[in-house]
Amino acid sequence: MTGFELPIALFLLCNLIVALLAAARGPTAADRMLMALLFGSTGTGVLVLLAHGGGGQVLVDVALLLALLAAIGGIAFARRAWQRGGDD
Amino acid sequence: MIPSLLLRCLLFAVLWWVLAEGRIDGWWLGAIAVATATWASAVLLPPAAHRLRLVQMPGFVWFFLRNSIRGGFQVAMMALRGRSALQPGVLELQLNLPAGGARVLMTSVIGLMPGTLSVELAEDRLRLHVLDVRLSLAAEVGELETRIRALFGVGP
Amino acid sequence: MIEILSTALLIVGAFFYFAGTLGLLRFPDVYSRLHALAKADNLGLGCVLIGLALQAENVAVALKLLLIWPLALAASAGVSYAIARRADSLGIAPWRKEKQ
Repeated sequence: MTGFELPIALFLLCNLIVALLAAARGPTAADRMLMALLFGSTGTGVLVLLAHGGGGQVLVDVALLLALLAAIGGIAFARRAWQRGGDD
Repeated sequence: MIPSLLLRCLLFAVLWWVLAEGRIDGWWLGAIAVATATWASAVLLPPAAHRLRLVQMPGFVWFFLRNSIRGGFQVAMMALRGRSALQPGVLELQLNLPAGGARVLMTSVIGLMPGTLSVELAEDRLRLHVLDVRLSLAAEVGELETRIRALFGVGP
Repeated sequence: MIEILSTALLIVGAFFYFAGTLGLLRFPDVYSRLHALAKADNLGLGCVLIGLALQAENVAVALKLLLIWPLALAASAGVSYAIARRADSLGIAPWRKEKQ
């Protein structure tokens, strides 16, 4: 722990909130789907930083699980998009 | 068949060791987990069903890491410069890859390479969205395709 | 020494997250925003994970942190293709400079 973890975690959280608002406001339905990406990357980043900023190693397990679920979700999404024809 | 399963067993054992953060006090639970995982992988993905060339793996991983770092850096610089840095366009190309895993890998990995994003894969035609049509992205995509062909052991 | 390197990587990681969000706000259409989020945010996560792994007390803990990265990469790769394809099937045309 170097003392930088918590400020950076806070910075990422602010980033996440701004990005979520921007995605929610997005002009098209596809823009709102960007939220799915945000939780996979920024969410896990915040969790591992919190783990090292004093939250304990158990938060790394949570981050790992979040990443794992995001990966399974991502692969399932992509497979669906790949298998089905023009309409989905 | 047997060497391949042994390799998987070893891989799962290392994975358990990592997940347990190097502690070995719960080794019996780990042994059960490793055995179950090996059995499940043998049932779900029989060793003969896929033929990834493991020798090609490190080279591919290195290529992927190098380019995804470059891709992230490039798009970060574009974000700092705003939309005036962009000149988006659509690129269509013919894939010279077998159907299935190879094409899916190509379609997915392209999204993390510099400046490219898959929009639609239909049979062997892949449509890409590119951030800047001025970059020579076709050559880079070609190199990725060559790497994937080597990884799946098709052609030269 | 390791502490300085680790802190530097955390700050670089935060910069890439920031760039991803900036891209989300400034890029003109959903396709370019996907580029920004998928590529920049993942590089940010990678830097943060390596930075924290440098401080880990043993190899297994460091590897556990690094294990998160390929999972997040797989998630981004799959989800960004699925979103791009969906946007395309909804008939959203990519933004072009000439028309502006």
